[in-house]
Amino acid sequence: MNIAVLIKQVPVSNDVSVDPKTHALVRASSEGMINPADLNAIEEAMVLKEQTEGKVVVFTMGPPDAEKALRDAMALGCDESCLITDRQVAGGDTIATAKVLAEAIKMYGQFDIILSGALSADGATGQVGAMVAERLGLPHVSEIQSIKYDENLAGKIEVVKKMHEDKIRVGCTLPAVVSVNFGSNTPRLATLRTKRAAKSKPLVTYTNAELALPADQVGIAGSPTEVIDSFEPENGRKAQMLTGSGAELAQMLKNLIDEEKGKV
Amino acid sequence: MAQGICVFAENYHGKLEPAAAELVTAAQLIRETTGEDISAVVMAKDCDAIVDELTCLGVNKIYVVKTEKDILLQDDAGSQILADMLKVIEPSSVLIPATPVGRSLFSRVAMKLECGLTADCTELLVGTREDGSYYIKQNKPSFGENVFVTIVTKEGCYPQMMTVRPGVYTMPEMQEASAEVIYMNDIKVPDSQIEVLEVLPSEDETDSILSAEVVVVGGRGAVENDNFELVKQFADKIGAAIGGTRPMVDSELIPFDHQIGQTGYTIRPRICISLGVSGAIQHTEGLKDTKLFVAINTDEHAAIYNVADYGMVADLREVLENYLAL
Repeated sequence: MNIAVLIKQVPVSNDVSVDPKTHALVRASSEGMINPADLNAIEEAMVLKEQTEGKVVVFTMGPPDAEKALRDAMALGCDESCLITDRQVAGGDTIATAKVLAEAIKMYGQFDIILSGALSADGATGQVGAMVAERLGLPHVSEIQSIKYDENLAGKIEVVKKMHEDKIRVGCTLPAVVSVNFGSNTPRLATLRTKRAAKSKPLVTYTNAELALPADQVGIAGSPTEVIDSFEPENGRKAQMLTGSGAELAQMLKNLIDEEKGKV
Repeated sequence: MAQGICVFAENYHGKLEPAAAELVTAAQLIRETTGEDISAVVMAKDCDAIVDELTCLGVNKIYVVKTEKDILLQDDAGSQILADMLKVIEPSSVLIPATPVGRSLFSRVAMKLECGLTADCTELLVGTREDGSYYIKQNKPSFGENVFVTIVTKEGCYPQMMTVRPGVYTMPEMQEASAEVIYMNDIKVPDSQIEVLEVLPSEDETDSILSAEVVVVGGRGAVENDNFELVKQFADKIGAAIGGTRPMVDSELIPFDHQIGQTGYTIRPRICISLGVSGAIQHTEGLKDTKLFVAINTDEHAAIYNVADYGMVADLREVLENYLAL
């Protein structure tokens, strides 16, 4: 089974503020990491790979230094990787980004299943996976807890989704796109040996020269939506602030807890 | 000419989702400025109760596609139906609950219609262009809750589509009202590659963190300086289960399924004491309906104070040591 995993490099810290003059985002740190939910998607890919002796290719779109996220993914067991990096495709919204990812997947090869993390830690739109599915004309099951593949039912997978208080078993024809919930499994860790091995695994780079998407379909130009302003949240503070010494605060905390417990 | 505010009437087991009803309120607020009609789109097996409820909420028109079975999870077929409906209705805006179903279906609709989709808005405002036409300013949090951005759909791109976070708008008041109900029988229900095999009620979740009345939640601050031992003693003393954000899970101080937020788990403890949690949305989303929520954090600007009832800007070590001595 050939498996594609879509990952995103997200900032390690969500600690950002807004420059009051330029309204540009000021990041505390530029360090990147693999989006947490994507690690759960990679883990599902590894389990499917072990079961079916397949190949796992990890894709990301980003600046050149997103190579680090791809190497990290290959250190977790992904076999090959594909980086789409081009100023022309940068800054796109979810629609423009999904078009690029879908095109790269098509160009790279045939896949039976395409996995992604359910939500990213920074933008948290949860949209790109479904949009890629639409672009590729594939079914999509979102925000799943687990995937089951049975060789005897070739051409199908079964996934479990949660909705409200229900657990729903869903069958889906392959090829398909599936987004995996954060925390749905325990991702494996890289070792020194796998990290070293990852350095020599294949990494293909695409620019829009290869993908050949029209310039008005990608990046900022190809985005139906645009960010026109950014601002720090107004003082939406709800909490009543309590002050005092450590001992005084401890007493206040105890009073609050005791009072609430007494309301039963 | 695109005209009208359209609400996606997400439903489950024949009932309108509260998150969809709330969007009628958001639509009413937009209508105050734009004067547009409010319509709802319904796609379900059992539509009657949903149509009745939408009528009482005061929408003007209800567009219905009745399906042989519920297909909201079959996003390949469902999105085709919705796209076909919107092509006929031609609304200027579409409001969608920011739920797994809403974002999965409408991501595909957005790609089909080549219009945008803004995710997880917490505020919708109406702006006016120089030519007098209206547009919607879609405000949403980004980078956790640290920054908000205003997103607009580019001029000429219709419909403007956005998902809106559940709980941001209140339910509209029920009223004696009538609505025009339009059954769109011409719209074909396509085959789907997706099949709902079985709906299982969740097994009784006896896991301590899910059923706990009192919960202590630790964040980054609870991991630093060996604070965790103290957190544990404090939790024991007040009879609380311990949950945590990712730093605690990463440092293997708590098991994976005790991570709160974005795990699919929402906990509803009566009392929550949050220690050293900055308040990223992934975490606060996993906590609902607390009666007492106290947050202790050294950062006086921590976003957690926007959701807590009481806040203490303090070193959690100092407070807890004193607490244990009481």
